Amino acid sequence: MFQNWPKLHSTDTNQSVSARLREERRNRFRILVCLDGSPESMRGLKVAAEIKPSKYCDIILLYVRSIDQGLRTGGLQMKLARENMLEWGLELPGIGYLKEGLSMLVNDEELKANWQINSSHTDSWGDPVGDNKVEYKNSDGRSIVLKLKTAPDPASGILDQYELGPYNLIIMGAPKTWRNEFGAFFGAPVAQKVATLSPCSVLLSRIDIEGDDLNGKNHLICFSMSKHSLDAMQRDAVLAYNCGHSISLYTVINQKSELADAERLLDQARESISKIGVEIKDVDIGIGDPVTEIIKKGSGYYLISVAASSKKWYKRFFTTGVAFNVMAASDTTVLNIR
Amino acid sequence: MAENSLINNSLRAYEPREVWRRKVRRRGYQQLLFIQAQFNLYYFWEKRWFFIAMALGVVLYSMPPPEGLSREGQIVLTMSIVAIILFVTEPIPLPTVALLIIVGQVFLLGLGSTTVAKSLMTDSVLFIMGSLMLAVAVVKQKLDMRIAWLIVRITGTKTTRVCFGISLVSGVLASFVGEHTVAAMMLPVGITLISLTSKDPKQVASLAAVLLFSISYGCSVAGIGTPSGGARNAIMIGYWKEFFFDPGSPETYKYLIDYLTWMFYAYPIFLIQLPFVTLILHWTFKPRQKNLSRAVSKLRRQLSEQGPMSPADWMAIVIFVLILLGWILFSGEVGLGTVAITGAAIFLIAGLVKWEEINSGVNWGVVLLYAAAISLGLQMKDTGAAKWVAESFLEFLSPLGAESGLGLWASISVLTTIVTNTMSNGAAVAVLGPIVLNMATVAGESPILIGFITAVSSAFAYLTVIGTPACTIVYASGYLKTTDFLKVGWRMVIMSTLLLLIASSIYWPFLLS
Repeated sequence: MFQNWPKLHSTDTNQSVSARLREERRNRFRILVCLDGSPESMRGLKVAAEIKPSKYCDIILLYVRSIDQGLRTGGLQMKLARENMLEWGLELPGIGYLKEGLSMLVNDEELKANWQINSSHTDSWGDPVGDNKVEYKNSDGRSIVLKLKTAPDPASGILDQYELGPYNLIIMGAPKTWRNEFGAFFGAPVAQKVATLSPCSVLLSRIDIEGDDLNGKNHLICFSMSKHSLDAMQRDAVLAYNCGHSISLYTVINQKSELADAERLLDQARESISKIGVEIKDVDIGIGDPVTEIIKKGSGYYLISVAASSKKWYKRFFTTGVAFNVMAASDTTVLNIR
Repeated sequence: MAENSLINNSLRAYEPREVWRRKVRRRGYQQLLFIQAQFNLYYFWEKRWFFIAMALGVVLYSMPPPEGLSREGQIVLTMSIVAIILFVTEPIPLPTVALLIIVGQVFLLGLGSTTVAKSLMTDSVLFIMGSLMLAVAVVKQKLDMRIAWLIVRITGTKTTRVCFGISLVSGVLASFVGEHTVAAMMLPVGITLISLTSKDPKQVASLAAVLLFSISYGCSVAGIGTPSGGARNAIMIGYWKEFFFDPGSPETYKYLIDYLTWMFYAYPIFLIQLPFVTLILHWTFKPRQKNLSRAVSKLRRQLSEQGPMSPADWMAIVIFVLILLGWILFSGEVGLGTVAITGAAIFLIAGLVKWEEINSGVNWGVVLLYAAAISLGLQMKDTGAAKWVAESFLEFLSPLGAESGLGLWASISVLTTIVTNTMSNGAAVAVLGPIVLNMATVAGESPILIGFITAVSSAFAYLTVIGTPACTIVYASGYLKTTDFLKVGWRMVIMSTLLLLIASSIYWPFLLS
């Protein structure tokens, strides 16, 4: 517990470099794409690649490798097996995914012609492989980073990486299963844990074969009357605009008597969206359970955008909200906006 | 719309904690968690199983002892339950559990620290330490290319034959040097064959599963073959000696199981399982590639470039054969552990491995953990806790008609299989050994037979990634999914359990008689 006590006496130089770097990063749109080799995570990368203008956008491709723990290898350190693989000229797991991700973003010729490469290594968790970073920087300012990170578990690694950011968006492949509050007590999937704890917006990517591009690349932005939700709606509208995607607005009411209020809300939303110059493809009002209705409506869309609950993370552990339940049960890609 | 609106008006990049950020140098999420823990109990959430285990421990410790169980027995049993929860859930580093066991024996049981310290170092622990050092030494000899060359020479190019060859060679080696050693050596062979077949992981997913599981399951079924095949075997040999051997009673000499005796019992079980491993893997994954001729010929070309064996290679082989002979001929007198550490010393003296390589290649915490688990196991015996649990378990089994014979054997096998899938097989035997051996005594069964059932069943950890070291190592290749283990594991469990029960009914009674 006290091993991790923060070191308060860092040098001024370090502080100023760190502060400058963070300030620079705040002027960029930074996306952390977590790759695990699944088709879902690779599709998430495609979403990141669509964000334009790309010169303001940095994409960090991350693969987290779990450190060898305790008894699992019977006392023989896993690094021996890894060293053996390297001596055979084989790549460590994860490097292949990162390379595949890079090739999806930039082709080889362009990479050689226009990008500068820097690489660095940091010792981590006493593991000789540690954290390895290769940064490709274009003269127009954008950068693509391949990061192979070592952490006790993938979720800690991703959240640890956030601390080195910050990032505007974390993209992950959606897990096959999602634990309920009770099940999460015994351990939750990586994406669920990150979605719960992440300070920034999270996009859980899914491969929805039927729904893909059914309505073109259209974001279904779901919102409620809360200020937080309206703010999130505007933010996703800007994102959709920068991706060249269209948007549809959707709100759900419990009963028909609330229809007038909902229409007023939609008008208000239309007005605020039109102020920022984004075209709205359509608007709709659902009646019933918000989670069910959003999932049903969203099945034909490129992604469903929901505002995260403004609850603190520990409350999200125990009581989930609409956004969380939509993320869990939807067959479509879901963007949870914080 | 202005171009930079993406940065200013779209998704926000929040700072984690604005107030703390100025004061605290960022050192990663773990430190942030600690800071947050002061306010929002995240630390307690992450360590929840530690606190649950401790709370349960306090409750059990405070209760009056059940009928037939001494106060000391109750304390040891409480410590064992807490340790098992911590082994399985891993809320704290596993060697810390070992430290807690040691501290608990001094403070809760009132034993002297020297007594506890002495109980930590047995021949089994010495063997575990020595065999881990040997494992590093063997891996460092880089004989894997030679082994790969041997496999592709004898198997041909058919996928089934290559897989069987890999299982056979991995198994035979693992039966003597331990599964982790062989899995670490053979992993590149498997991955090379996969990557030479296709660079696209999706094209070779089934082939990858078959080849990599041939390594891991080949090693797992072989680990029981000889005493040096795994820590669990040495632990069980140690328990037989501690529990039943009396130097003054010639009748108890049969409980001193030497290297060859163990092999007579267990090696046939390993060999019988081998063809089933290949069959089950092909039946489950059905690889599209029926012939690996292209990959094998490329591999042969790669391997042929390495030239003849060097004197150091021959020296390593000679030393290893000498260690093997030492185990077979002298382990009865001097112990398995002494031979293992002698072998490690010879490798170091010959300059075939550096101490630094051994030091960084061995997870010493594991040695400490096994030592503490064995020490606790011996306390289970001394305080009568093991006997009480054994009697209670038999009482539970008797209405089911499983208090003796085949029913009891099957129950013990199933219990061990469940436990070994949630923790390492060595720890499973260390925890269960004292209980099952007492059950054998109470039920009038042969402790040797019951001990073998437990030791062999502890290898049936096919269902999870963490079940066996070989599974963990091949999983690190990145080609396997956790669901693959379940998909094939249950078939392997059924096959191995059936073969074990047949051996327990027919073959072992014949040897015992």
